[in-house]
Amino acid sequence: MAKLATIEDLANLQGSLAAERERDGTTVIVCGGPGCHASGCCAVADALREQLHKEGLTETVRVRVTGCHGFCEQGPIILIEPGSIFYCHVEPADVAEIVSSTICGGELVERLLYMEPASGSRVRTESEVPFYRLQDRTLLALHPKIDSSSITDYIAVGGYSTLAKVLRDCSPEEVIREIAGSGLRGRGGGGFPTGRKWASCRAAPGDEKYVICNADEGDPGAYMDRSLLEGNPHLVVEGMLIGAWAIGAEQGYIYVRNEYPLAVEHARTAVEQARELGLLGENILGSDLCFDVEVARGGGAFVCGESTALMASLEGKVGEPRPKDVHTVEEGLWNKPSTLNNVETWANVPLIMQHGAAWFSQRGTKGSKGTKIFALTGRIKNTGLVEVEMGTTLRTIIHDIGGGGRDGATIKAVQTGGPSGGCLPAGKFDLPVDFDTLAQAGSMVGSGGMVVMDESTCMVDVARYFLKFLQDESCGKCVPCRIGIDRMLEIVTDITEGRGRPEQLDLLQELGETMRETSLCALGKTAANPVLSTLHYFREEYEAHIAGGRCPAGVCRALIEYVIDEEKCTGCGACARACPWDAIEGEEKKTHAINAEACRRCGICAAECAFNALLVR
Amino acid sequence: MLQYVTLSIDGAQVKAVKGSSVLDVAVEYGICIPHLCHFPSLSDFGACRLCIVELVRNGRAKVTTSCTLLVQDDMVVRTNTEKIRKLRRNIAELLVAQAPNSRAIQDIAVRCGVREVRYPFRNENCVLCGRCVRLCTEMWSARAIGFVGRGKARHVDFPFGVRPDFCKRCQACVQHCPMTITPCDGPMERGEERLCGKCESQLQVTEKIPDACVLCDLGQGFNCARHG
Amino acid sequence: MSTTSLEAVVRGRRSQPQQLIEALQDVQELFGYVPQESMITLSKELGVPLIEVYRVASFYKAFSLQPRGKHLLTVCMGTACHVRGAGRLADQVTGQLGVAPGDTTSDGLFTVECVNCLGACALGPVVVLDGVYHDQMTPRKLRKLIESVRTPEVKDTANGEACHD
Repeated sequence: MAKLATIEDLANLQGSLAAERERDGTTVIVCGGPGCHASGCCAVADALREQLHKEGLTETVRVRVTGCHGFCEQGPIILIEPGSIFYCHVEPADVAEIVSSTICGGELVERLLYMEPASGSRVRTESEVPFYRLQDRTLLALHPKIDSSSITDYIAVGGYSTLAKVLRDCSPEEVIREIAGSGLRGRGGGGFPTGRKWASCRAAPGDEKYVICNADEGDPGAYMDRSLLEGNPHLVVEGMLIGAWAIGAEQGYIYVRNEYPLAVEHARTAVEQARELGLLGENILGSDLCFDVEVARGGGAFVCGESTALMASLEGKVGEPRPKDVHTVEEGLWNKPSTLNNVETWANVPLIMQHGAAWFSQRGTKGSKGTKIFALTGRIKNTGLVEVEMGTTLRTIIHDIGGGGRDGATIKAVQTGGPSGGCLPAGKFDLPVDFDTLAQAGSMVGSGGMVVMDESTCMVDVARYFLKFLQDESCGKCVPCRIGIDRMLEIVTDITEGRGRPEQLDLLQELGETMRETSLCALGKTAANPVLSTLHYFREEYEAHIAGGRCPAGVCRALIEYVIDEEKCTGCGACARACPWDAIEGEEKKTHAINAEACRRCGICAAECAFNALLVR
Repeated sequence: MLQYVTLSIDGAQVKAVKGSSVLDVAVEYGICIPHLCHFPSLSDFGACRLCIVELVRNGRAKVTTSCTLLVQDDMVVRTNTEKIRKLRRNIAELLVAQAPNSRAIQDIAVRCGVREVRYPFRNENCVLCGRCVRLCTEMWSARAIGFVGRGKARHVDFPFGVRPDFCKRCQACVQHCPMTITPCDGPMERGEERLCGKCESQLQVTEKIPDACVLCDLGQGFNCARHG
Repeated sequence: MSTTSLEAVVRGRRSQPQQLIEALQDVQELFGYVPQESMITLSKELGVPLIEVYRVASFYKAFSLQPRGKHLLTVCMGTACHVRGAGRLADQVTGQLGVAPGDTTSDGLFTVECVNCLGACALGPVVVLDGVYHDQMTPRKLRKLIESVRTPEVKDTANGEACHD
């Protein structure tokens, strides 16, 4: 394809691609998101292509592998257009029937349709799936339309035309005003008003400026950015182009964490494709904008999600944050003014410029506008990516969209904001998802990770888990973070192992406050949040560990023991074979017994036993 | 041509050279702000967090390290509020629990008002203040040692753990290490670490810890900049 | 140490200190770890003090300073996987292979790592073996997966018996 030298060139290309798309017959859309990827969508896509080739249908039926559709629990997912037929849990073995029955015969394969758990009935189309009905999928609904490795798909549905409009009609200041007017706040966790950030950067003295996309999504349990960057990389690139125009930058970076090789690949492909068409480079679409993007990989460090650490990493150094007495919008990458925004923030930019600030600010609450994508995971029925209007309650997300607890368990808490966030108890589920509301409640919206916990989760263990994580990821430079986290972990470990003392709870509180006030960067400042929030809302669990030496959820290994119920044991030996520590003895068909000294209380035996003969005390 | 700014530290209007840090200016004026990783003529990187102060802006007070805070006109800084004293005391408590076996750290702890240590003592031989690293890098340009590893595993080491031939053997690293400043009565026995009462620096004479520098003996313990 | 392969890593990066991390990543991919000699070469060619190269290599998880085993087994310990039982997978792997996370088995076959999140959270717990993702793992599935990699003659020393079922 020839380079697009003018806006007219882009419009013409878009026109012809759109017309070509109109002529498309049946399209089989295979979800290639992170969840479906892990559950085997590639094999399904391969099987599809093979089957279509065998049936001689490759000319009439298109296969499109796209970004995440959101309902990861039900993956691999296939959507068949026209008709929006929604098939889930698809396996390669199902492909032949799909092709013959649905694609050729126009009939549904019942067993692949989504079954509503309440009624037991099957639904036909995507829009009828309850999981989707309560969502506002402004960003995610774009995914099924676009092959995640194709720029032509993106352009066919109107991609880059917003950039063209901005370059033709809007001055940089007007762009900043529009973004500021929309109320867009950073989607990476900080929630800082994007328009204000851009304005400060534009105003900062200097000719050399940078825009950076933070794709270092390190919060465990969060994969929204991965899905966006893998599924719709051009949307992010277009956002950065608009940002570069607004701020006056000529170079941009997409910093992707090392653990996301597919996202790196898709981002690099997208950048190359954009360059080929002249959408990155000199005098883009005939305007004054000169801008290019480099995709950089992280080295495996959660702390590199912090803006100054990320910039240090881009400079080839260790990801150690530096004090922010001078902000990065003035002195950032290479000490030049830099605008760093999260993937989802950049993704919202073209949509805001396309539809206008009012369109965006109409949704959400007073302080939090627009929609937000959440990764709903953990002890919940419907795991996946959920996009809702800001202000939606936790209850709606967890129970109505999420379908409630798994295996009939009662949901106890939800953890939001990753290791910087906190746990909120079920009693607080009527709180709306909103930056300020959740922060006031002791948690935060964060990047969007939402991990649901039920009665099988010990909240003290959760605190210990996050401290361990942060201890591993702390850069180690400053005392309150490095030593503070270590000492907190020491105390919480003591508590989980039955050595806790009541005065330690006050010490945790005081230490947490010290860390919050004096740490050098946000990692240290928020490191105490998991402990402080669980201490606040689940104090009784801490006290049970300390006073009673008991773990109510039956998790903390030092406080539980596994015993075989003699009445239920059939002597099948499955537990003994499964035990990695050789801690179970017994003869065939005779009651088995656990050697308490060798037992590590991991619980693998209980998971294996078909007769529920393993008890936890 | 030196440029000057005027700022307020603890209510006192002080004149300072533009580009200097609040810590440098305070110490010069005799306002003692405890510090450990700061060392004259080396870069500041805000690691120990002892030198924290309150920066008052728009009616709100932000806690930040004075060694990395550069002076500006009309800046309002408070170095000794109750909140700052409490935070500083907690930080010093963490430090002394890591390394009680150092007179400098003990002195700092006492100076910051630590009276009890609520954590089990450990006997680390490095508090990662980075003086040695910066001396080797900035003053001697040998670059024979540096910070290696991350988080709890962070430590000072040679490349690959072996002293390189380009180490100048200048001993600067050893001479300015707070851990090697004369320990009180020699190393403490393992298991008997404590906030010993024997350091000369313990202010038993008066319970009140001076806000303003009186060129106290404490200055020697942590190589206060005023002592040079 | 093949000088030609290091040359490929260094090409286009001479005197460009900011390329250190990308260069180290290439070295890691090439050799499975970051040998000392490669760090010395990078220091010289990119113009980064040796101690800084060592510092960067030791800071980031992506780089291993020791040679790795033939097969890399990664267990995700992210929050979502954790509440779905990733801890048991860690137990399974530690008990079955007899090594702590981060270490390599004595026969050089497996290196086990626990990482903090792979981004496939909805289908946890997740284990990755040599780049292939396995979702919704259980200790039993993991045991079988590890056995399937082992050569038939090597018995499962942890249990002392060739596992059936």
